[in-house]
Amino acid sequence: MTPLDLTTVLKDAPIGEWIALSNGRERIVATAKTLEAAIAAAKELGEKNPVVLKVPPVSALVL
Amino acid sequence: MKIAYSQLPAKPDAVFPNRQSVGRPIAPLLLEKHGKMLSVLAIVDSGADICLFPASFAAALGISIPNPLAYVFSGTTNHPQIAYFDKIKVTILDLLDSQQSISFDLNAGFCDTLEHVGLGLLGQEGFFSRFDVCFHQTESYFEIKGA
Repeated sequence: MTPLDLTTVLKDAPIGEWIALSNGRERIVATAKTLEAAIAAAKELGEKNPVVLKVPPVSALVL
Repeated sequence: MKIAYSQLPAKPDAVFPNRQSVGRPIAPLLLEKHGKMLSVLAIVDSGADICLFPASFAAALGISIPNPLAYVFSGTTNHPQIAYFDKIKVTILDLLDSQQSISFDLNAGFCDTLEHVGLGLLGQEGFFSRFDVCFHQTESYFEIKGA
């Protein structure tokens, strides 16, 4: 199966900020310091059900 | 349900000088509580005893924490961490065929120490205890079979 490549989508994402992706995870809709603000910004831009995540710092790659 | 591994950006370093990305078994989830819904991602982590999410997810679902259902645990260090539990509905989303999506009730923990990661962890109690999971890392997918 082809892996879901998020490297391009998240390449320039701000590390440590909340990111709201389009529901199909093809693009970043909004970013913000808080989860609440990221969701609100995404909904304001028409994304009704954004997928939220963070790009963790490198030190958090191994959990 | 088969889910493709996700490739996340990573930077090369002295140990992995050729690394540009890291592959992880990440499941797309819909979390629900109190009529509120939140679409998130969670790493399928057989090394985690419990299912955990960042504390911010609790607020987004209308769950008030801290609450009396506190659970103390530790990770790769021996520093104690606290997760506050509540029952939520979880749907593992099949993005190709929504009829294959799997919903279940989960006693989920929410903790500040996952805030910097921004992803959930699906661990033994409540996830692996309920589903058969098979990792096909060389073929870039994992499989979840309903109980």
